[in-house]
Amino acid sequence: MPDNDIAIKLENVSKTFHIRDKTSNSLVSSFGNMISGRDKRTIEAVKNVSLEIKKGEFFGIVGANGSGKSTLLHLMSGVYKPDKGGQTSMNGSFIGLSLGLGFNNELTARENVYVNASVLGLPVKRINKKFNKIIEFAELQDFVNTKVKYFSRGMRARLAFAIAVHAEADIFLMDEFFGGVGDERFKGKSDKVFEESIVKGRTIIHVSHNLSTIKKYAQRVMLMHKGECLKIGTVEEVFLYYQKTLKINSLSVDR
Amino acid sequence: MTGRLGGRTFSFLPENNQLERIWIIAKTDYKLKYYDTFLGMIWAMVMPLVRLLIYWLVFSNIFNKKIDNYGLYIYSGLLLWMFFQQGTKKGIAALRSKRYLMMNVKVRRLEIFSSSLIASFLVFLSNFIVYLVFCLFFDLPWSLNILYMPIMILNVCILIFGVMLILATLHIFMRDISQIWDMILLAWFWVNPIFFAKAIIFETFPFLMWVNPLAGIIINFRATIMEGKPPQWDIVAYDYAYALLLLSIGLLLINKFYHKAAEKL
Repeated sequence: MPDNDIAIKLENVSKTFHIRDKTSNSLVSSFGNMISGRDKRTIEAVKNVSLEIKKGEFFGIVGANGSGKSTLLHLMSGVYKPDKGGQTSMNGSFIGLSLGLGFNNELTARENVYVNASVLGLPVKRINKKFNKIIEFAELQDFVNTKVKYFSRGMRARLAFAIAVHAEADIFLMDEFFGGVGDERFKGKSDKVFEESIVKGRTIIHVSHNLSTIKKYAQRVMLMHKGECLKIGTVEEVFLYYQKTLKINSLSVDR
Repeated sequence: MTGRLGGRTFSFLPENNQLERIWIIAKTDYKLKYYDTFLGMIWAMVMPLVRLLIYWLVFSNIFNKKIDNYGLYIYSGLLLWMFFQQGTKKGIAALRSKRYLMMNVKVRRLEIFSSSLIASFLVFLSNFIVYLVFCLFFDLPWSLNILYMPIMILNVCILIFGVMLILATLHIFMRDISQIWDMILLAWFWVNPIFFAKAIIFETFPFLMWVNPLAGIIINFRATIMEGKPPQWDIVAYDYAYALLLLSIGLLLINKFYHKAAEKL
């Protein structure tokens, strides 16, 4: 059993993908591959990462594109299974917040709220009670019965965030979630949620290469490079380390 | 609420809001399939009737007119067959259509499949009601044996669930399983006692009766309503054993390979 104040624990976690470039997964193509035997590649997306994240922590993960940040998030949530020898455990319910996922486009905002909140563990009675709050928080009063496919990126992001906040997910796994999403007013709201989250014991894992939010809230930051964890520490420590040792310019410190 | 990793917990006992949740997802599935309109529901009921009409027109002229109430005879088989066909076909895509959930929240795998089955069952149910109304127009030897009917319906449900799990697992690795399954269904359709008197096909190929679990189910189903007889219990036992075997295989497979679904689909 994990300690009670630990939200996420990873031990020696690695993830290797076996992918085929040209062909898709199909019976026909696997016959083809059996004969030719080519076309297989392995990608080590995450290499031997161990870490513990405490409840109520705002944990940032930074790194260049393709450094394994998103894969690491999926490993934390258990969506991906780590390679042999790796152990992951999560204490609490999670919601993944990333653009373009989480909603069924053909369903309305209302239906998506019910599906998501219900999967997060809320009974329908509670969802009924919270429904208006969620919609208000997301500022989507006029679009309750609109299919999500007609929503803008900002609207989707707001809805997802509102569900996460009100459906009481313990752990937010945010993947590039606030890279230019939501106007200033909404950012103010989300900032408030981040501030409160520490009090409420909510855990936020924030993956980004836009560092402004991370600088503001993260208690600890992890720097990833080519699947490896280079450094975990406070924001300042990681930045210092980064500037000294790596000269990758895709890690942008803007705004 | 303490959860285990990635929905790897595995339990048949409903906890807190599990049943509600399955129902909510099933409802949305059903809606998505029929475009959310009242007319959509009508379509769901009209389709089997149109099929019935066509088959009846064709086969009542070609084949044995010896069978009483031939229209209803076809309908009974068709009803169960279409349930099986739709249920399994939807099941193949169940994981992919729920990917949006799997990637973002902790969903239990069996809930995904239960919802899919319930959505198909709702379609079946609306067709079943039409069927029962249809029955009123025939001169049938009504008896209490009709109360045995749910036994056969449950049997089809278990069968669908098992086949669905097996196909969904295969689908993770072979995208074209849906095309292959379509072909299998096409052939399978004709070895069911839907049009023929059961004797014809099973006297020529007696093994088909035992290879095809639906054959016995359809025969028993018909017996309860069209002949007013109880089902043949040896066939019931055999077909339940068959369905449960497929279900166990399906559960084993999906437990072993479910975690691949997020990566591959």
